Amino acid sequence: MSSPATSAPIQSFLLRHDFLIRRLHSLSGLVPVGAYMCVHLLTNATLVGGASVFQDKVFTIHSLPLLPVIEWTFIFLPIIFHAVVGVWISRNGKSNLQQYPLSGNRRYTWQRITAYIAIVFIFTHVFHLHGWFQNEWWLKNIAEPLGMAKFRPYNAASSLSTALAGPTVIAGILWSIFYAVGVLACTFHLANGIWTAGITWGIWLTPKSQRRASIACVLFGLFIGAAGLSALVAAKTTKVDAAARTENEMYDARIQSHSITPDDHKRSAPHVVEEPKPVPVQ
Amino acid sequence: MIAPGNEASAKRRPSKVNVRILRQDGPGLPGYWERHQVDYEPDMNVISVLQKVAAQAKTSEGKNVAPVAWDCGCLEEVCGSCTMVINGRVRQSCSALVDRLLEDDANEIELRPMTKFPVVRDLVIDRSRLFRSLQRVKAWVPVDGYYDMGAGPRISREEQEQNYPLSQCMSCGCCLEACPQFTKIELQRQPGETAEDYAARKNASFDEGFVGAHAISQAMLFNAHPVGKNMASERMDALTSAGGVQDCGNAQNCVAVCPKEIPLTTSIARAGRAATVYSIKKIFDR
Repeated sequence: MSSPATSAPIQSFLLRHDFLIRRLHSLSGLVPVGAYMCVHLLTNATLVGGASVFQDKVFTIHSLPLLPVIEWTFIFLPIIFHAVVGVWISRNGKSNLQQYPLSGNRRYTWQRITAYIAIVFIFTHVFHLHGWFQNEWWLKNIAEPLGMAKFRPYNAASSLSTALAGPTVIAGILWSIFYAVGVLACTFHLANGIWTAGITWGIWLTPKSQRRASIACVLFGLFIGAAGLSALVAAKTTKVDAAARTENEMYDARIQSHSITPDDHKRSAPHVVEEPKPVPVQ
Repeated sequence: MIAPGNEASAKRRPSKVNVRILRQDGPGLPGYWERHQVDYEPDMNVISVLQKVAAQAKTSEGKNVAPVAWDCGCLEEVCGSCTMVINGRVRQSCSALVDRLLEDDANEIELRPMTKFPVVRDLVIDRSRLFRSLQRVKAWVPVDGYYDMGAGPRISREEQEQNYPLSQCMSCGCCLEACPQFTKIELQRQPGETAEDYAARKNASFDEGFVGAHAISQAMLFNAHPVGKNMASERMDALTSAGGVQDCGNAQNCVAVCPKEIPLTTSIARAGRAATVYSIKKIFDR
């Protein structure tokens, strides 16, 4: 009754499709967003094996045709949908953890707290490393002047490490905390989200089976969270110069074998292959 | 001969019981706290405290006030009408024993009306939305008719054991009070509005809200009944429309506060499974 007249059609649309919207919200959290997050964090964790292992994985990802279309269809748009609907859902509920400090209720409240952390984290993280839009004007005039869009796929580990180091030592520490908190929030949100989705879709019914499922979800969360944090530690301890040298060598090798085409936009600096110096004749 | 332990506990017994009550003079009016003091008696429950409070009609400061209004029925935790928030937790006042409550807080017992339903007066609330939810999910077996339908089908022991706990629901509203997804809907009757128009407006508003754990559980109970099953698809339509089972946030407070220990979260998961199957069927059976 107190809602403004302009929101009435939206309100009626949401009510008519309440079931479908909420089930799509649940599904989108699992596939593609949750599945993508697992692939993403496990790919990142390969950095523990060294800059070359990680670079190899990034080359594979960037060999996909129409990558921006894939990114927007299967990653960005589902995340935006999940976030927008999630905010609407969380605003319809009212936490009462103070009166009922029960474990399920605690998870309910934390699912919403981590959701808001995840929204801030993901939107900043994508801007920080990816830049959101791979558009020349946007990157040159908006993203890069703000110190964003730092990641260079063909200099993966070195550009990541530089981005996480930030311009100052304090900035580096703040970025590390930001990424650690963000990754852990996303991990909790996904692990608990899988558990609640199992009830929502009717997979685990009884308290006994729900308890077993929650143990599995905790183990899953610990695994994914450890993968995410190990990637962060690996990125912070990467030696930028050595990594860049390896990456440039790998780039040159790939160019020579024609497995990638030259693309300076995906590199930290246009790199000229040094011609072997002629040996002076004595 | 009194055992020493009893003597000690007798000494700890207070002579007076302090009660703090959140009062409200009528629907839509502001609430206010009031302190009352009654003489202690052994084996009191909150109802017997409230009887004394109403009989005194006097606050602990000695001010004469209108008697505190409350609701009760069976006095044996099977009707649900005396449900209120006691020391911050929703429960029946008939089964809330004063000696136990004083173990939690010896100074005071705090009573307030349920927060998810409109207050009629003091501790009396209007639970009509709870019953509207039961209507929404058609929580009954359709046997009304003009002729003898004969004996009903047999129900296996296994089914009986699954259904009996669900049948114990007394519509008290504890599950709704504790649910973070179930939020209060309170409308005021407008001047010149007929009782029928007001009821219709209220029902339309209730129908957009979350049905709640009790109604989901009852829908599962009657969908499991051999005759009740005839309306299974109608119940599933209700559970998959606005405010249906999808509004559950899995906080699982409902099952924790249910005085009848009904496996509400199992019913919700069962309804979720049925909704998954039903909605897919609806797409492909068209």
